[in-house]
Amino acid sequence: MKLTRRNFLAWAGISAMGAVACDVFEDELRVQSPVALPEDLVKGKENWYATLCGTCPNSEGVVVRVVEGRAKKVQGNPNYPTNLGAQSARCDLGLQQLYHPDRISAPLRLNGEKASGRFDSITWSRALDEVSKELSARDGAVAMISPPMRGYSAVIADEFIKAFGGKRIEFESLDLKTYRTAIKNVFGQDIQPHYDIGHAQYVLSFGADFLSTWVSPTQWEVGYGEFRDSDHSKRGIMTHVDSRFSVTASNADRWIPIAPGQEGKLALSIAYVIIEEGLYPSNVDISSLTSGQGLNALAGYSPENIGSQLGTPDNVLGSHSVSELIRTVAREFASHSPAIALGGGTAGASTNGLFNLESIYLLNHLVGSVGKEGGVILNPEPPIKELKGYSNSHTLTDIEELIKDIKASKIKMLFVYNANPVYGSPDWSGLEQVLNSDDLYMVNIGSFVNETNHYADMILPDRNYMEDWGNDIPEPSAGYQTVGVQQPIVNPLSDMDPRSSSDVLLTLAQDSGKDSSLPWRSLEDALKGMSDELFELNRGSVSGTTKQEFWTNLLRQGGWWDKSATGADVSDINGLINKITVKSKDPKLSGNGEFYLVPFLHNSLLDGRNGDIPWAQGTPDPITSVAWQTWIEINDKVADDKGIREGDVIEIRSGAEAIKGIAFVSPAQPPDVISIPLGQGRTVGSAYATDRLDGESANVLNIVENNKIEGTDGLAWAATTVNITNTGTSLRIAKFEGDYESREVGFTEGEELIKTTSPGDHDH
Amino acid sequence: MIPKGNIVAATLVGLIMAGITGFILLVIAISWFSNAPFGLANAPAQPIAFPHTAHAGSVDDGGLGMECEFCHRNVTKGDSATVPALQQCWYCHQKVSGGDEEAQAEIDKLVTAYSDGVPVNWERVHRLPDHVRFVHEAHIRHFTMGDTPETQLEVKEVCTVCHGEVAKMEEVQPKQFQSLKMGTCLDCHRKYDVPTDCTICHK
Amino acid sequence: MVIKIEHKWGMVVDLDKCTGCNGCVVACQAENNLPINTKDLFMQKRAFEWIRIERYWEGEFPNVKARYLPVMCQHCGNAPCEPVCPVYATYHNDQGLNVQVYNRCVGTRYCINNCTYQVRFFNFWEPTWPERLQNQLNPDVTVRTRGITEKCTFCVQRIRRAEITVERRERTKLNDKTMAARNFMPACVQACPTNALMFGDQNNQEDKIHGYFEELHNHEGHSDSRGYRILEEIGTDPSVIYLKKVDQFKMEHSESHG
Repeated sequence: MKLTRRNFLAWAGISAMGAVACDVFEDELRVQSPVALPEDLVKGKENWYATLCGTCPNSEGVVVRVVEGRAKKVQGNPNYPTNLGAQSARCDLGLQQLYHPDRISAPLRLNGEKASGRFDSITWSRALDEVSKELSARDGAVAMISPPMRGYSAVIADEFIKAFGGKRIEFESLDLKTYRTAIKNVFGQDIQPHYDIGHAQYVLSFGADFLSTWVSPTQWEVGYGEFRDSDHSKRGIMTHVDSRFSVTASNADRWIPIAPGQEGKLALSIAYVIIEEGLYPSNVDISSLTSGQGLNALAGYSPENIGSQLGTPDNVLGSHSVSELIRTVAREFASHSPAIALGGGTAGASTNGLFNLESIYLLNHLVGSVGKEGGVILNPEPPIKELKGYSNSHTLTDIEELIKDIKASKIKMLFVYNANPVYGSPDWSGLEQVLNSDDLYMVNIGSFVNETNHYADMILPDRNYMEDWGNDIPEPSAGYQTVGVQQPIVNPLSDMDPRSSSDVLLTLAQDSGKDSSLPWRSLEDALKGMSDELFELNRGSVSGTTKQEFWTNLLRQGGWWDKSATGADVSDINGLINKITVKSKDPKLSGNGEFYLVPFLHNSLLDGRNGDIPWAQGTPDPITSVAWQTWIEINDKVADDKGIREGDVIEIRSGAEAIKGIAFVSPAQPPDVISIPLGQGRTVGSAYATDRLDGESANVLNIVENNKIEGTDGLAWAATTVNITNTGTSLRIAKFEGDYESREVGFTEGEELIKTTSPGDHDH
Repeated sequence: MIPKGNIVAATLVGLIMAGITGFILLVIAISWFSNAPFGLANAPAQPIAFPHTAHAGSVDDGGLGMECEFCHRNVTKGDSATVPALQQCWYCHQKVSGGDEEAQAEIDKLVTAYSDGVPVNWERVHRLPDHVRFVHEAHIRHFTMGDTPETQLEVKEVCTVCHGEVAKMEEVQPKQFQSLKMGTCLDCHRKYDVPTDCTICHK
Repeated sequence: MVIKIEHKWGMVVDLDKCTGCNGCVVACQAENNLPINTKDLFMQKRAFEWIRIERYWEGEFPNVKARYLPVMCQHCGNAPCEPVCPVYATYHNDQGLNVQVYNRCVGTRYCINNCTYQVRFFNFWEPTWPERLQNQLNPDVTVRTRGITEKCTFCVQRIRRAEITVERRERTKLNDKTMAARNFMPACVQACPTNALMFGDQNNQEDKIHGYFEELHNHEGHSDSRGYRILEEIGTDPSVIYLKKVDQFKMEHSESHG
């Protein structure tokens, strides 16, 4: 067999493992000599190291298999509190990111005009010299854009930016600021709560695709597995309210389609029924919640009044009217204790998103689920003072402020740190134009070329999470104090020269003499300090009689947690319902298009951050099984009427712009909704992300119009209406469905592949 | 007079014979110069001459009598025996110098490679096909922890079962004792009543 | 000296827990050196997924369901693929695994045509990885070349590694108990966040999956449990049990379409 694998190590470098081995002495691992003998080499020594996954925004605890200095497989860390050994479709992607052929290997300096795409490889010392020089010339006018960060890398970035007089924006395309604000207003704290789905009897969710992409999906999938423990007669019931048929909707027992922005009204109507019919438990203080007004506080929210306003069809699962459906759901929700109500995603993405989410989370107070096992469990403050338990999610409005500052020359230097805001914000934001100015000096830290660092003056290659130190306070944690620790488990390959970005910032600060608030030599140094602090606490999961032993065990376990350090319910429910109802408003919609536009996060690409990774592109979407392309979900009957068939390239036009994508005709799509995943439509990047035919790939954010959420200024990305036209051309759809199907073999009565049963029909 | 047809036939037969002979010679030539397990070539040249005799050879023969697993230290722990890290070579050779100039030159190569951080690409001597899994540790365990005298050997004796007396080889020669073909493996597995399911070795 | 272990590996898939997230699919690709599923492979309908999620529609809007069915090699006790192989490249081993021996395979594709579940994949092209990505390849799994049929192995490399690890740790020969310690799982089972996939030994009383197989064999056809095997009517005797999806609310069943 002639395998290319035979040759692949000729360039391989010294593979030292800078980490503490599981069962081998530290010094024995320092330097290993690779040989050009693949079988021998790739076998070599095998170890599993605990670290934190850097592919998803919520870092899960993982263990990585390392054979002779090369990472082979990522698996969930069985002890880590949030994911308990589980993993999502995204966990293994880090491996391909680490060994990606298009990873930037050395600092790149712009050669020629901005956006020319011409960069020179230079040495680190020259790159840092130049950045230092620019920093001192532009002191006081420096800003940074990063994704939400936690742990010491966030502390270092913050102190760095503060030292140079600027501001750090934590930017996400579909930001969570509205969700965080609602949590703060309803539960009284900044730290996100833990939803104890595993012990719940009923889950009522609105808009949040929490089994696939929303906030901390792996954690909640673990809970969902326990929730559906049918063999032990404790099968929880789940109702999902959503404008599109998401993965979560497909797994719910009941899916209630709803027009975007009406979720709050539905939630308050459920609250109305609970109060009207006295379904709440005796310890719930209704008079306090309503400032003594009782049901009057919710006047106008009776199901009979609300039912016709939601855009929900009348015949959901045998109910005759929407008002009947609301009453059924309210009775179920109140009678199955403990019950959880949660919301996010589209429910918080209309102009009235904050009102919607507050109304949804209020339901937890009404059935007494807050702070209860199987309910909403509030997370405690982290054990380390310096670290926050939450990120400051910023919004597009903050980017717009930044654009103004750049135009006014208040900001002359911009650091973009592992983020791609040009791709992640709609074209009309104007970010792209402002970055293309010669007055602005932009330093990008990252691993791949993308739409943002296309305009960079300097690109500094970052280390992959498997090559770098780090730590994390999981957001949300599992109801108790948790500190995750990330350690370098492989060294960069010899042809790669990435540096830890936190260490780069520390070096720059020291070079400029601004290291007074940054007392660490490196990120590792900061983590060792943290380990010593945790050691002094003398509690938690990590044992060790000396600081060194504690540190070793901390790395071995992948973190520190203390199940007894739980949070307390600090919510102030006085007049909560009144505070929410005054915000009640109908959603404002842009344009009068025929369809609601509902963008959503892609199951493996998320908001596009994994677009360069072949596995992420080649993983079929659960609902449509499409890979590599942008698909447009459209209802089957509507498509019939319009003469649209699967594979047709259709144009979707909003007031802002138009994009093209491939139609996927779905029997589950509401007739008045067009939904499109984020993640494709990349224009600059590796071939895996960009090499597409016209019409195969589009960035849905470009047709999202400029609507802001009242109270948080977040982008109301579910408040756009669109019209569609069939372009007349069609393309092959790259979907897995129909490639290999067991049913093709034979499908006769009684031989269904998927058999169903009713609860109670089986005993085991 | 020989009929014309016969001449043509004879020529054809002659050509075919010559072709077959040539082919056989070619096969032999290729195998002679190519490496084990398919070829018959002798020890490949290594980037740094490493005399096993000087390290592992017995003290009586002028060696140091080191155990095999002192350097190949993964052999009792995992799948592959592993070539030691350069650091390990350097650890001794920062003090230990070569007996003569020639030996010292080789040691210098090693020390330079270590200090420059350049990997040394050793040439493989014993090679198994890529679809075969061989776990050194399990075999060592079998031959050292058994019930009969022939399965209660010292580790270095176990190595010789397949590799031959490496301690006596200036350059490690392939296929001294075993051809390392599937038959070799099966014979032994059958002899000791070890499973011979395909998935035991094939991966 | 005889290492004789009476294992019969099997899997149980709880359809009520599967969310269709594709975690198993990616984990399998990473573990087993599957070729990168490029856009072209999808277009040619030749994408590789040793374990795949099939999605079936049921009902009409708004009462519509998507049913997920994870399908991997069923390791049939009476496998249709085995008798048709002219070179014995596929056979049933003594631990209940349907084994594909790559170096025997000559690529006739008879087994693919005869497989009831369409879980065998043929390498029409030489699988390629960009040079750097090759570092990720798992040394425990052969990289298949062009012209070879491949399929799910129940991660036999993990079973073998576990056997050796247990032997080494216990300093003893294997017995049924040591291997039941659940110290290994196929990559998909390990990845599954909802525990919809369970793996174990059908013959081991203590194993979690044992009960499901016991029940299935005892009440063939009219069992009260949720367990069934897909297309078992054909007589393939699969080693994978599926647990019926529980429908909490009765839905007006209309014609299903896909």
